Amino acid sequence: MIYELCKFLVPYSESFSFFRLVNYITFRAIMSALTAVIFIFIFSRRFILFVHERCFLEQIRETGVKTAFDKRGTPTMGGVLIIGAVLLSMALWGDWRNPFLLCSVAGMLWFGLLGLFDDLSKVRLKSGDKGLSERAKLLLQGLFGLIFALVCVGPYAPLGSALATKVCVPFYKFPLGDIGPLLYGVFIFLFVVFVSNAVNITDGLDGLAITPSIFVVVVLGVFAYVEGNRIYSAYLHYPNLRGAGELMIFGAAFVGAGLGFLWYNAYPAQIFMGDTGSLAIGGTMAVMSVLLKQEFLFPLLGGLFIAEALSSQIQDKIGVKWIGRRIFFRAPLHHNLQHKGIAETKVVIRLWIVAGLLALISLATLKLR
Amino acid sequence: MLLLTVVLVLLLIASAAFAAARRWKRRVGAPRRVVLTGGGTGGHVNPALAIAEGIKARDPQTRFLYIGVKNKAETVIVNKAGYPLRYVFSEGYPGIRPSFRTLCFLWKLSLGIVQSIVILIGFAPRWIVATGGYVSAPVIMAAVLLKKLGIADVKIFLHEQNSIPGQLNAFMGKWADKVLLTFPQTLSFFPNAAVVGYPIRHSIVPIAVEEAEKRLSFTIPEGREILFVFGGSQGARTINRAIVDALPYLFANSHRLFIIHGSGLASSSSYNAARDTEERIQKVLSDEQKRSLGDFYYRQDYFHNIAEIYSISSLIVCRSGAGSLNEISRIGKPVLLVPKVNLPGDHQVMNARAMRNAGAAEILFEDTVMESGGLIECLDGQVLAEKILSLIEDRPRLREMAEKSRDFLRREAIERIVSEIFGEKRFADGNGRVAPFRDLVGNARLLQLLSAARARFGSAFDPALVVEDPDDLAYYRHRAAGLLSRKNWQDRNLGVKLIGLTQYREKIPTLLQMLSDRTPVGVVKRIFGGDFEQVGFIRRNIVEALMGLDRFDPEVEKHILLAMEDPYFEVRARACRAVAHFGDLLAGKTLCVDRLLGHLRDLCFEVVIEAAQALGEVGTDWKAAMALLSMRESHYWQVRNAALLGIKRMLERGVLDPSGELFAQISSFILTSTDFRPHFQIKETYTAILKCAEDIRAGACKPPASLNQVARKIK
Repeated sequence: MIYELCKFLVPYSESFSFFRLVNYITFRAIMSALTAVIFIFIFSRRFILFVHERCFLEQIRETGVKTAFDKRGTPTMGGVLIIGAVLLSMALWGDWRNPFLLCSVAGMLWFGLLGLFDDLSKVRLKSGDKGLSERAKLLLQGLFGLIFALVCVGPYAPLGSALATKVCVPFYKFPLGDIGPLLYGVFIFLFVVFVSNAVNITDGLDGLAITPSIFVVVVLGVFAYVEGNRIYSAYLHYPNLRGAGELMIFGAAFVGAGLGFLWYNAYPAQIFMGDTGSLAIGGTMAVMSVLLKQEFLFPLLGGLFIAEALSSQIQDKIGVKWIGRRIFFRAPLHHNLQHKGIAETKVVIRLWIVAGLLALISLATLKLR
Repeated sequence: MLLLTVVLVLLLIASAAFAAARRWKRRVGAPRRVVLTGGGTGGHVNPALAIAEGIKARDPQTRFLYIGVKNKAETVIVNKAGYPLRYVFSEGYPGIRPSFRTLCFLWKLSLGIVQSIVILIGFAPRWIVATGGYVSAPVIMAAVLLKKLGIADVKIFLHEQNSIPGQLNAFMGKWADKVLLTFPQTLSFFPNAAVVGYPIRHSIVPIAVEEAEKRLSFTIPEGREILFVFGGSQGARTINRAIVDALPYLFANSHRLFIIHGSGLASSSSYNAARDTEERIQKVLSDEQKRSLGDFYYRQDYFHNIAEIYSISSLIVCRSGAGSLNEISRIGKPVLLVPKVNLPGDHQVMNARAMRNAGAAEILFEDTVMESGGLIECLDGQVLAEKILSLIEDRPRLREMAEKSRDFLRREAIERIVSEIFGEKRFADGNGRVAPFRDLVGNARLLQLLSAARARFGSAFDPALVVEDPDDLAYYRHRAAGLLSRKNWQDRNLGVKLIGLTQYREKIPTLLQMLSDRTPVGVVKRIFGGDFEQVGFIRRNIVEALMGLDRFDPEVEKHILLAMEDPYFEVRARACRAVAHFGDLLAGKTLCVDRLLGHLRDLCFEVVIEAAQALGEVGTDWKAAMALLSMRESHYWQVRNAALLGIKRMLERGVLDPSGELFAQISSFILTSTDFRPHFQIKETYTAILKCAEDIRAGACKPPASLNQVARKIK
């Protein structure tokens, strides 16, 4: 809104020329991040109280790890705060005619609502294991994946249909080839479903999901800035995506919201993000990386999430359900580390370090090609 | 194309229906027409025929039509009885899980319904008498459809033979005009039911002993107690084998016993009753015994006039199908029942229990044992022989059981049924509501209850705390043992857990055999990390169960030592824990201590932890202590902690001197840790309040004097 207002005012008077600042993406990015943080600082206490009064509390769940105390009774659904902060700051600072922004916001909202529904039904059924069935969840995630894949390979693709179905891999300058809309559509579908679930699985310890997501979004934001900028993209040999810069503003708002959330979520947590948060973050990251043609960078950039998801799935589907033995001591990864006798705080910080290193390596692919 | 066909078929049905409806109305004055349906096994067909006999006796004009499935029991029995027979498609209900079989089931069911509609419209019956089995499903559904459409005017009667209805019967009972029950306990399942009893064919009537003996095709020596053993028309492997196994133990009483054995007609490739029984006789008996066997044992595949055999028997051994029980009750004989376990709703167990509670029967559960590499259900011959002898010797008890047996049957079942069908009120419906059987819980729920109790009571745990009735417990144990022979490992695993939790100590040898079973799994699973047919979880849970069963002998020791060398880390760890559990008995045994010392260098830290703690329980010398002390710089703090715990335990047991050297060594342990236990004061205060409130409620701590009392004291 502020963006539109400034745009509207500038031509009228010389004294409004100051508002030309909004044409600079970096300025808007910083402002949107600050807006998001301030929003969270203002509202989170009230939100925590509200959640507590409505008894939307974390329900017990059998993880097999002897935690020193149980986390039952911690207010959950903090994802609502994150989504709210991002939406508000995008409403103020975003350009809503930009297809990149629309896609990302749609992804975040869809997955956020799905997670919210899941959280609410968990609270209603008083069990951490029930809630939406796994099948229903996958179906709804898949539905978004399908729609998004159709948009991406269709005629209104934000990327432009020439580039849409090309395969770009990190550390290599040119697209590997065109795999056709059908194959690419299937890939996007699977990618979106996998990533959103990966974040959901990672969200098991205080602050474990939010910080690595911030790292990932920062890197994606940098990519968005480079690819949206004609000069930088020419210099670094990236395809120039008109309007992709808007994703940097979105990313900045997200980072701001994430930092604000971490304020309360850091160990020992006063609020959890719940499925609302984790699915929304996963959906956002997946959509952003597809829109920036960095989907093949994601396994490296979000390697932590991938490792968590794979360890959990391998343990459950292959080990426990099929061959009848444990393959890891415990799964997912963070529980395995806890089982090995590392305290929760230490596990979280170590995994932050790993995520940070992966983000740095991914950032290096900007130039290392 | 498909759509067109469907439309055509529907049109055809509709036009036929209207024509039929007109015919139906014209027929009201004509002789009564009755459709009989139900089948699959003799247990469903015979009651239907018995009811038909009853209706015929009342109104000889009645015309019958039997609807069945091709190549099932009804094909033979109904044709022999001389009723017209028509076939429809139907199939057993495969369960709620969607699969290819469900699709087949739905397809056949819908075909069957269409067929039944055609048959029903053609025959225009006034009544439908269904006796259960999946055959009756399409017929009843078709009838309900016609009724709802206002085409047919038909009444549906469903007879349930068992104490626990099958899934299809339970579902269809809602549609029936009246559900006729055998057991009063079943009333809880159906709102629109009447207890009538079990309709028995007219041929089953008591016959005087002399008369019956005259009619027999074989002769029985004077003054013998006659024992009749059979397992239904097809025969039961468990019973056939058990009675042959029991023969050697019964030889001592061969002068006063005579055994009549109906081995059954089964002759499939998996089980040929006659041949298997003969082979068993050759195997079990000595040559001398075989020669004199004929003096007190007679075997025949099937007895056509079973009433004669019933009449001369002193005791009967059989399965507890509703049909057999009611026939025996009609004659009034004491019976020893061997129910088939793991059937839907456990209905044989429930039937048996109904008769036992009436005082007419004793129950023996079949067992699951290892035989030639596989697990099979069986009944121990010696157990059976002892039970038979103890019953035969106790004449007053047999007489009492026979009397109770005669009372067990609801007399005049057929009359009751016919009066229900004709809509008369000759018999009071108020047979008295009987409390339904206490539900037996399923295996999964049982596991939940038992493990919760185990977690709560710890070493004081006893399955009797959860399962109060000892009979229930006995049955649960046998059911758990039955799971051990299942094909998929999840079931076997459940069985192992349940055996441990129900403390079924007689099964320890079977568990041990499974633990040492080294049959490899398929190649695909091995690629992904599988090893043996008895998967890692099963082996782990066996070791766990051995600890819970808490019985130690050389065989258990051998297998625990074997488990310590298992390829799967959790089994090794549990085996080390088991060593600690049986610490007093294993203390100082060199082989065991050596294995533990070896495990201190195991690649998996979980195993090292358990081994170090176990060493504290069984180690007796300085060598063990040195090994523990050498772990002072281990990477894992839990390993260092376990080593210290081991040393502490050795000190407590008095096998280690608290010398200065020891403490010098201990002081060089790395004491840093990567883990800690936070404590949250507010949560602790909160739990303290809760505990205080509970104590006050329990009367453990006295509440402070109330203000009034204080005020009174001051005065």
